[in-house]
Amino acid sequence: MTPHFGLPEFGFLLRGLQWTMLLTLVAFVGGCTAGLAVALLRTCGHRGVEWITRIYIGLFQGTPLLLQLFVVYYGLALTGLKLDAFVAVAIGFTVNASAFLGEIWRGAIQAVPRGQTEAAMALGLHYSSRMRDIVLPQAIRISLPATIGYLVQLIKGTSLAAIVGFIELARAGQIVSNQTFQPLLVFGVVGAMYFILCWPLSWWGSRMEARLALASQR
Amino acid sequence: MQDQILIEMKGVQKWYGGYQALRNVDLIVRKGEKIVLCGPSGSGKSTLIRCINRLEPIQQGSIVVNDHRLDDSIKAIDVVRQDVGMVFQSFNLFPHMTVLQNCMLAPIRARRIGKSEAETIARKYLERVRIGDQAEKYPAQLSGGQQQRVAIARALCMQPKVMLFDEPTSALDPEMVKEVLDTMIGLANDGMTMICVTHEMGFARQVADRVIFMAEGQIIEEGAPDAFFRNPQQARTRQFLGEILAHH
Repeated sequence: MTPHFGLPEFGFLLRGLQWTMLLTLVAFVGGCTAGLAVALLRTCGHRGVEWITRIYIGLFQGTPLLLQLFVVYYGLALTGLKLDAFVAVAIGFTVNASAFLGEIWRGAIQAVPRGQTEAAMALGLHYSSRMRDIVLPQAIRISLPATIGYLVQLIKGTSLAAIVGFIELARAGQIVSNQTFQPLLVFGVVGAMYFILCWPLSWWGSRMEARLALASQR
Repeated sequence: MQDQILIEMKGVQKWYGGYQALRNVDLIVRKGEKIVLCGPSGSGKSTLIRCINRLEPIQQGSIVVNDHRLDDSIKAIDVVRQDVGMVFQSFNLFPHMTVLQNCMLAPIRARRIGKSEAETIARKYLERVRIGDQAEKYPAQLSGGQQQRVAIARALCMQPKVMLFDEPTSALDPEMVKEVLDTMIGLANDGMTMICVTHEMGFARQVADRVIFMAEGQIIEEGAPDAFFRNPQQARTRQFLGEILAHH
């Protein structure tokens, strides 16, 4: 007998949602950390280093994420490094996020007026203080709408992890749908879960953007 | 009496790509001297003072500040920047920090003094530019004239030996020019060594020991303000003075 969509099925979807959130969290935190390094290297003023960082960003922005996940999961397995599905997709998403966030923050760092850096240099502040105290606090503010926008993309993008057998929300929905033959209901619930996760972030992001636009008019 | 030489530029040449911004500039500034640099836009006057604290590198010649020769080493640049304060046309206050934090940051980070001492110094100089009661505000809450006075206080907090002013009143509404000039005059009267790029010829007359006229990256003429304004020697200088004094 075909099971109907009930509490156990809903619970299964919730566990999928948990994995989606965990994967997003790991990829976002890891991506932020590595992305900050990418952004700083990309703007460091050393031509060779900036060039290498540019290639790094171009490589991950210019190839499909799916391909990158395959390389990490199957490719590394060929070299004898057999990774757990979660670890593999976490690595893949983190590296990919570092390239995108790095590029977003590169733009934000360069959007901070040159006069800010000049004033800091004239005051005798070193690179680390110029970045930490002056440029990054302003750049983060500038980049916040784009960063939140990327986070929303990332949440939805984690559904790609299903391809290497990782059961997150979208894959959980597919499994439940196959069991219950109630695709409209199941995917409706799955969609609602994504929406509840993403919509407040999108709303927050556009509010942030409006506030920034207002601040720059002043 | 031969006063101590604070800045010595010799044969300074600077290019932006193929464009030569400074041509063989020689300049000696002694302790306590007030110098006004004037000239048409693009004449290299801002570039000249920006070379003194190495915001711009030079390609030839030498710059010595307070006995420290400025070369490309981080150490030399550091030492020189500790001795040289700068005020910009566009203020360049840090918008995410209060007035007080703007003034405390560099002494804490670059001079490595304690927080409470930095605050004492900051409040002292904010008082001196008559803006002590605005210490907790953010720059955007102040008028242009107030912001520029904060910028002056911020530079003074590093207790520099020389102050560079890069068109400090050019971005201000006319009614705010005076408060900034008065602050600068007060500073001059206290004996601060100053190099000011400005078109305020009244300020030059009142304060300057020497007025230097630049055009096309060269120092064309220099002299005491009286002689400089009354009897300029070069045709280029006369033309310039005619133009700017006509509309003042």
